[in-house]
Amino acid sequence: MRYIAYIFALLGGIALSFEGAIYGELGKTIGQLETSFYNFFVGAIILGLLWLFFGKGKISHAVEAPKWTLLGGPLGVVYLTAIVISVPFVGVGVTMVAVIIGQLIMSMIIEHYGWLGNMKTRINKEKIFAVISMIIALILVN
Amino acid sequence: MSILMILFTLLGGITLSAQSAINGTLSRKAGTIETTLLTFVTGTMFLAIIILFFGQGDIFAIFEVPTWQLSAVFLGVLFLLFNVFAVPRIGVIATSITVIIGQLFSGVVIDHFGWFNSLVIPLDIKRWFALLFMIIALYFIYKGNKRSNEEANAQ
Repeated sequence: MRYIAYIFALLGGIALSFEGAIYGELGKTIGQLETSFYNFFVGAIILGLLWLFFGKGKISHAVEAPKWTLLGGPLGVVYLTAIVISVPFVGVGVTMVAVIIGQLIMSMIIEHYGWLGNMKTRINKEKIFAVISMIIALILVN
Repeated sequence: MSILMILFTLLGGITLSAQSAINGTLSRKAGTIETTLLTFVTGTMFLAIIILFFGQGDIFAIFEVPTWQLSAVFLGVLFLLFNVFAVPRIGVIATSITVIIGQLFSGVVIDHFGWFNSLVIPLDIKRWFALLFMIIALYFIYKGNKRSNEEANAQ
């Protein structure tokens, strides 16, 4: 079960790069905020359908859940708008590197302190090695 | 201008990780598809208001652009679904690093072929080494996570 989660995360990353490259183009035609809006609006329709047919969870939980757990949407808006604005100016490569550095720093901090309801996992030797390898990879890509 | 842009994009990466963490928490009670749906619905609401005040583009031009430019929405949906699925199972760091490897790997491939009107940057020896280091990183994150779990279970 665990390795499926890794494969899904990998596929998610691939989707993210293609999304950035394509939306960079769309943003030039219809505008950046409009591109973000298009993404969220049509995405909501697609997920609405998926939810109707395959939803097994409990959507009404949103009403009773702590309000901060509902902030995922606005945070996604910041990310997507940043990408669409940035790609035409500095290119997909630099954009992804900047996003990645932000991701790395933030996920380390979140997990080390166990913020936002996540399991607290101490940073260990292996994770530091992983980050160093990632930074070397980032330097080589540029 | 460029520096400002990069800092802004850095903020995008920070919000992406925070989003993963928050959505992972919500999904434990609400479910994967439900959490993703809520993310898109609230995102739409926020953007609708932002566009009313600050939108300078032309939203109706979506009917004129090539369809492939619109297909990216499926990718965004896939990313969120996969992410919400993975975080509660392997944690924020392991998910983020694995996502990053996918991002860089496909970014290098897109550059190599110059897909979607992007610049053509060939896959040279330097970039092959970059891919190698990414695989090493993935190995370490997997091992590190396994050790954290063993330590947590021992307590």
